[in-house]
Amino acid sequence: MADGDKDFLTVLKILIVGESDVGKSSLLLRFTDDTFHNEVPATIGIDFKSAYLDVDGVNVKLAIWDTAGSERFRSLTPSFYRGAHGAILVYDVTKRETFMKLESWFNELEVYSTRENMIKMVVGNKIDKENREVSREEGLKWARKHSTLFIEASARTKEGVKTAFEELVEKILQTPGLWEEVRRKRNINLEEEEPASTGWCGGYCA
Amino acid sequence: MEALLEDYISPEDLKNFESNYTESRRNGTLTSQTQFEYAWSLIRSKYRADINRGINLLEELCSSQLGEEKRDYLFYLAIANTKICDYSRALDCVDKFLLAEPNNRQACDLKKIIKDRIKRDGLKGAAIAGGAALVVGGLVGLGMALARK
Ligand SMILES: Nc1nc2c(ncn2[C@@H]2O[C@H](COP(=O)(O)OP(=O)(O)OP(=O)(O)O)[C@@H](O)[C@H]2O)c(=O)[nH]1
Ligand SMILES: [Mg+2]
Repeated sequence: MADGDKDFLTVLKILIVGESDVGKSSLLLRFTDDTFHNEVPATIGIDFKSAYLDVDGVNVKLAIWDTAGSERFRSLTPSFYRGAHGAILVYDVTKRETFMKLESWFNELEVYSTRENMIKMVVGNKIDKENREVSREEGLKWARKHSTLFIEASARTKEGVKTAFEELVEKILQTPGLWEEVRRKRNINLEEEEPASTGWCGGYCA
Repeated sequence: MEALLEDYISPEDLKNFESNYTESRRNGTLTSQTQFEYAWSLIRSKYRADINRGINLLEELCSSQLGEEKRDYLFYLAIANTKICDYSRALDCVDKFLLAEPNNRQACDLKKIIKDRIKRDGLKGAAIAGGAALVVGGLVGLGMALARK
C-alpha cells in the first residue's frame, strides 16, 4: 500500500520486544500480511513494517519496529526505543523462562523510552501448542501488577493477533498528550483538503 | 524496511558506543561484538563519513570471521552501502547473503529496495536529461509523475 493512498490521523511508533524465538516477527507478519511460516530465521538486529489500522472509524498509520531477541543485538536495540508510543512484550506460553524475562524487558522499556506514559501490551503467544507452561491467570496477574494490557494469542491460528494491536492502539489514542495529530497535505495535484477531525478529536482529548 | 534506511541514531547513543570501542581498543580487550556494535551505530549516523567508517569496520570483521556473525555483517554492509547510494556494492553484499540463505525475508526485502532505487535513479536521470519540468512533492510525487509519462 503506497503512503499516498490514504489519509490518517496520526503515525504511532510501536515496538515489539521479548526473548528470541517467542514469535515476535510471526505476530507482526500475521498482522501485516496475514501469513505464517513454520521456519522463520531469527531477526537480524531489527525489522520494520508499516501498517494502517482502522480503530473506531479512524485511520491511523503504525510504524512497527520488530526487535531481535538474540543476545548479540541486545545492546543496540534500546537505541530504537526513542519516541515509541506503545510496546508489545511477547512471551511464549510453552516456555516459562521467556515469561520470567518479561520483567527485564519491562524495565528496559521504562529506562529507555522517551515518552513516560507509553502504553504496553503483554502477549502470551503460541497458545495453539499443547505443552503450555504458563497459565492464562499467571499472565493476567503479571499484567495487572505492571498495569499493562494483556492478551493471549497464536500467530499460527491468528487468534488474538489483530485484537492485540487494536487494543493497544485504542488505548494509545485514549491517552491524552501521548500522541500528536498529523495533518497531511494531500497530493499537490488533488484539491487541497484537510480532514476535519476536530469533532472526533474533541471526544478523546476532552 | 525503507524506514531502516532513514532511521538515525541519537548523537548520545553514538557517543556511548564510540567510547566503548575506543576504550576497549586501548585496553586491548576489543571483541568483535564491541566492534560490531560501534559499526552498527556508525552506519545509523546522519553523516556520510561515519557511515564510511562503519563500512570499514564491518569489512574488517567480515574478513576475520566465519559463520553466523558474518551474515549479520553482510546484511549491515548492504544497508550501509544502500544508504550512501553505492548500489552495486550493496547488491553484491545482499547477493552473497542470499547465497547462504535464499529465503531470508529481510534480505529479500532489502534486495528489492536496492533494485527499485537503481531503477528509480535511472529514470530520474532520464527525466532530467529530457528537460522535463517536474513539480517534485517528495519522491512519491516524482514517482507518480514519471509513471504517468
Ligand atoms: N506453534 C506456533 N509456533 C509459532 C507461533 N508463533 C511463532 N511460532 C514459531 O516460533 C518460531 C520463532 O518465531 P519468530 O517469529 O521468528 O520469533 P522471534 O520472536 O521473532 O525471534 P527473534 O527474531 O530471534 O527475536 C518460528 O519457528 C515460528 O514458526 C505460534 O503462535 N504457534
Ligand atoms: Mg524476529
